[in-house]
Amino acid sequence: MPMIMSRRRFLQLMGMSGAAVVLGACGADEVAETTAAPATTAGTAAPTTTAAPAPVSIDFWLPGGSDPFCQGFELVADSFAGSGSGVTVEEVLCGVADDEDFNERLLANLAAGTPPDAVIIWDPPVIMASLGALEPLDGLMAASKNSKVENWPEGTLASCRWDGQIFGLPATASSYAIFYNEELLESKGIPSGRDDFPKTWDDLKALSAEFVQWDGDTLVSAGFIPPYDAIESAIWSATNGGVLYDADAQQVRLNSDENIEMLDYAVQWLNEQYKGDWVAMDASGNYLGGGYVDELGRPPAFQSGHHMALVGGFWVAADMYSSELVGWERWNVAEFPVGPSGTSTASGFWPNWCAIPKGSANPEAAFAWLDYLVVEGMRTWFAQVPDIPTNRLAPTDLFPQSVADVRGDEFATDITQFFKAQLDVAAPMWTCPVQNFLHDQVSTAISAAMLKQLTPKEALTVAQEATQAELDSLLAG
Amino acid sequence: MGRLRRLQPRPLGRREALAGFLFVSPWLFALVVFHVYPIVAATYLSFSDYSVFTPPEFVGGDNYVKLLDDPTVWRAAGNSLFYALLSVPIGLAASLVLALLLNRPVRGIGIHRTFFYMPAVVPPVAGTIVFLLLLEPRAGPLNTAIETVGLDGPAWFQDPAFAKWGLIILSLWGVGAGTLIFLAGLQEIPESLLEAASIDGAGAWRRFRHVTFPLLTPVILFNLVIGVIYSFQVFDAAMIVGGTSGVPAGSTLMYMVHIYRTAFGYFDMGYASAQAMVLFLVIVAVTGAIFGTTRRWVYEGV
Repeated sequence: MPMIMSRRRFLQLMGMSGAAVVLGACGADEVAETTAAPATTAGTAAPTTTAAPAPVSIDFWLPGGSDPFCQGFELVADSFAGSGSGVTVEEVLCGVADDEDFNERLLANLAAGTPPDAVIIWDPPVIMASLGALEPLDGLMAASKNSKVENWPEGTLASCRWDGQIFGLPATASSYAIFYNEELLESKGIPSGRDDFPKTWDDLKALSAEFVQWDGDTLVSAGFIPPYDAIESAIWSATNGGVLYDADAQQVRLNSDENIEMLDYAVQWLNEQYKGDWVAMDASGNYLGGGYVDELGRPPAFQSGHHMALVGGFWVAADMYSSELVGWERWNVAEFPVGPSGTSTASGFWPNWCAIPKGSANPEAAFAWLDYLVVEGMRTWFAQVPDIPTNRLAPTDLFPQSVADVRGDEFATDITQFFKAQLDVAAPMWTCPVQNFLHDQVSTAISAAMLKQLTPKEALTVAQEATQAELDSLLAG
Repeated sequence: MGRLRRLQPRPLGRREALAGFLFVSPWLFALVVFHVYPIVAATYLSFSDYSVFTPPEFVGGDNYVKLLDDPTVWRAAGNSLFYALLSVPIGLAASLVLALLLNRPVRGIGIHRTFFYMPAVVPPVAGTIVFLLLLEPRAGPLNTAIETVGLDGPAWFQDPAFAKWGLIILSLWGVGAGTLIFLAGLQEIPESLLEAASIDGAGAWRRFRHVTFPLLTPVILFNLVIGVIYSFQVFDAAMIVGGTSGVPAGSTLMYMVHIYRTAFGYFDMGYASAQAMVLFLVIVAVTGAIFGTTRRWVYEGV
């Protein structure tokens, strides 16, 4: 006799199936939790990082990047699996879908109590640490093979410090320098050695004037564009004896005398060499793209041979010969010059921060992975995408092959060592718990001053008041 | 008059009703989980200090008080209002004109309609990048065209005076969706009315003014409401052009971008929720105001 299924029966079965699926999904998590290695309080534990008691799998997330960058972590994970640590990186999530934001996904998982075990973040750890989102690493660092405090330059590690504890590892930190076109200098009979490059803002401005050329309202050749970038402003401030944020006093210092002088100087420079017309300068070509094709598809003026010098991080050096240098080949790098109120040069840095989110199921295993990544993994990481390893135990014989192929191993090694040395004079950066807010405010202030909407003092005062209020609100909470 | 007997559902009717509910339950589930719950949660969070990392702490109306005193919020709101006031009418006019053109019985009209609709399905990021190239100040096609008539084109996205106009031009990229709806509306207009008007001696303009346009007003209302909602929520293009600081000089900082950066850049979910609730209420109010005017200008039937 054929079995007849009524609509009602069908719906009942569907309902039961759905419930079974939901219960099954919940159950799977429970099983995973019980088989995972027992978690301890990461900040206080002092486990060994060389031997885990049982095989543990961890998830590792990073915000994204180029294909070689992402593939690099798969390769390092493979070598880590064979290192005998007993920990394997089961999932490397490198970036999220186009319609999703990494922070959105990370926050959602943190809120749901299912964070990844370890992450690379591009927001300073101090921000997330101040909000209680990261595990403190002091105990794990002290017991680690590679990541002891003394193995990190203090300047970069400061970006991970909050409330007396350390919440991240600045795995790599590309430092900043001034890139200049040696051939352009020589074409005007100007010495092109690194030691000959200007040591003060006044000297750099004078040198810049030699190369500025307008055709009507179009800038056809630039020397050096005065400071305009919010991140780099921390460096310019330091070379003028200032800071943007005083971490010890927990005070924002945007409208300090040194910073007002810095922005005033930039506006004067704009007036003297670029007709005081930021829009015309920006519209003339890609002078502000940092050595890369800009969002308008314009080739970088520096590589095109009509921009004498620009500020860039180590990544610019590594990518320099990946793009076409039009009609020239030789460039070099120099230290930042010193401002009228400054006493010494400074640099800056932009790290890839490793961290362990609060609620990580396997903080010790996750730290074992990070400890491996920041030293043993650096050779693979650098080969995929050159970046300055920060840890003192990381390989020191690395250099970008793309540069060596054109300029030889000696030059490639020299510039790599130069950038590495810049970390030792790095300005305090990324230390403000409202860093993203500060960045947006500084960006708007610089823009308003350059576009003559506000005086530098007014613009920085607006930014100062807003940022200090935001900081006070956070600290009060 | 006798008392009406209360209707008792028959057993079969009750079963059918239950079956009906079960069949729509996936939709109801999605409505509750993905719409009702977020609105309720956002309302609650807007009265709390919440960073995701720690449990929300009730702070009463503090976030709303802060919002009133936050110059960046007002600036972003002003930018969004400017954008909405201009992009919506311009977009409506452009899509209506396009629909009228695409309603002509010419050869290959289906292909034309497809071409005009295609931008609406292109990812917004790709569309924005295309427009950035089109509006490049020195060699972009638009400024090159302007130069041919002896004028200097503006630096669209470098000059704060023009950056919002650049975004408004960019918004026209998506008029295909509105055009399609207008086209459907045009094809609903009875041919007999247009013929009658012609017989009465009405020319093309008078037929449009006195027959087509009145009968299209319900569609205009729909496109207007949708356009207002979308324009207040413009995000992708503004984010790509101006980033989280709305360069140049905050001129492209739209309200939605400010909500986004407050939530995911500054990790202040409570304050971002308050901003979102205000946007929600403003949109409800504006939409309500539009509906309040419909008796004066929307023609409800033939």
